[in-house]
Amino acid sequence: MKYLFIDSATTNLVVAIINDGKIAYIYDNNDNHDTSSKMMPVLALAFDKAGFKPQDIDKIFVVTGPGSFTGIRVGLTVAKTMAYSLNIPIVPISSLEVMASGNGGTALINARRGYVFAGTYDNDLNDIYPDSYVLMNDSLAKPYISYDNFDFETVKPNIDILKVIIKHENDKDVSPHTLKPNYLKLTEAEEKLKKHDRESK
Amino acid sequence: MYILAIESSCDETSVSVIKDGCEDVSTVILSQMNTHANYGGVVPEIASRMHVENITLVIDEALKKANMKMEDIDAIAVTYGPGLIGSLLVGLMAAKTLAFIYGKPLIPVHHIAGHIYANNLVKKLEFPLIALVVSGGHTELVYMKENYSFEKLGSTLDDAVGEAYDKVARVIGVPYPGGPIVDKLAFEGKDTYDLPLPLNDDSYNFSFSGLKSAVINLVHNEKQRGNEIIKENMAASFQNRVVQILVKKTMKALKDNNVKNLIVAGGVAANKGLRTALTEACNKANINLIIPEMKYCTDNAAMIGAAGYYAYKRGDIAGLDLNAKAVVSLK
Repeated sequence: MKYLFIDSATTNLVVAIINDGKIAYIYDNNDNHDTSSKMMPVLALAFDKAGFKPQDIDKIFVVTGPGSFTGIRVGLTVAKTMAYSLNIPIVPISSLEVMASGNGGTALINARRGYVFAGTYDNDLNDIYPDSYVLMNDSLAKPYISYDNFDFETVKPNIDILKVIIKHENDKDVSPHTLKPNYLKLTEAEEKLKKHDRESK
Repeated sequence: MYILAIESSCDETSVSVIKDGCEDVSTVILSQMNTHANYGGVVPEIASRMHVENITLVIDEALKKANMKMEDIDAIAVTYGPGLIGSLLVGLMAAKTLAFIYGKPLIPVHHIAGHIYANNLVKKLEFPLIALVVSGGHTELVYMKENYSFEKLGSTLDDAVGEAYDKVARVIGVPYPGGPIVDKLAFEGKDTYDLPLPLNDDSYNFSFSGLKSAVINLVHNEKQRGNEIIKENMAASFQNRVVQILVKKTMKALKDNNVKNLIVAGGVAANKGLRTALTEACNKANINLIIPEMKYCTDNAAMIGAAGYYAYKRGDIAGLDLNAKAVVSLK
């Protein structure tokens, strides 16, 4: 079985092609700026290096969030379009789980204004504290893992894509048409409208 | 040549299959207007989110409607700008993915070129021509010597004409999107309010923010005096000024450049007041006027596929690193 893995939700861009349980090629660089320009050339390079065509892929694993809204949409649009046109299934993956995939721990993504996206996973990637949009506090389990700088010590993520794939290989797949991003946060306009509706009731 | 075109620059997700730049084989448009109406205008982050949820469904529907497969498509055209950056990116990434998977040329299309080429779906463009582009985001006069050659003569210095319509609508208590309703009200009212003719000079530029402010001040002053605004009359007075200046400068551009063909493009091309006044002026001056069908006035992918055909003929092929641009001029 040949799988494609895409994660463009954080500052670390990962594109991997997995062939029969082994990584055939992986792009894993903390350089995810200008994702919209970079994504397709990286993908083309990955297929080229792995020696496969998009038509060879059996399943796509894509990170649906949380993280950068634009980053999530870029990766997800590519995965959805590819899965739809090649008629293959998609499995959604959490960005925080990928970050914790090396040794487990609490993965943090800076969500600004004092908030973080946080999730705690054990070494077997069991979800100990579900992915949430929360005020940053110290009640979360250590060690903290993040690509972002915080005013306390964080460890740079040590990711293990194969571990993530094995964990989710038999997950129920999702139709590319219905697959949605997992932003974990409403837009400001929606929040204001909700607040307004609550107050007027 | 069959082009699959994608447009997602604002709040419409649209995909079309266009043959040879002039035949609309299939077009699907998914509008988010009802969602954004809750917020009184387009919310960019919500627009981006809805595009990503719907993009593959719209592609699928357009192909099914055309009774075609991706393998039957010769090239992919996509709007790369100008527009809302988050919205543009969804269409752009989908287009690049399809171009990559199927090894097809990727054609970058400027949104305004699209609006202009909406007219090519009605009747093949005849050159030289003047294009009046009027929408919620644009107000421009463009001279075209031949296919896919654009020379900007002038544009708005501030608000786009459609934007001014929506703002005036809000001030006189008409819900979003107010442009079409103001147009309708204008036909029920009389030009009774004293409003200025905006940027009434010899240039090809426009300015609508002063006119908009004049409406706001007038409404405010009348309220202070305890008088009710007569909506229909305010709409008529505002629309008359807008139409008068658009027609005046467009006719001047035609005369100065000795051009006999005029096309109108963009959402405001659906405005009845403008259509009527331009038709009259063109009849009088013996100008050949083309206005697209209502369905091609608002944002759609058919126009992108039409423009894409001529962009391709000119040699506009993009690499997989093509990026979206919120602001970009027509070249």
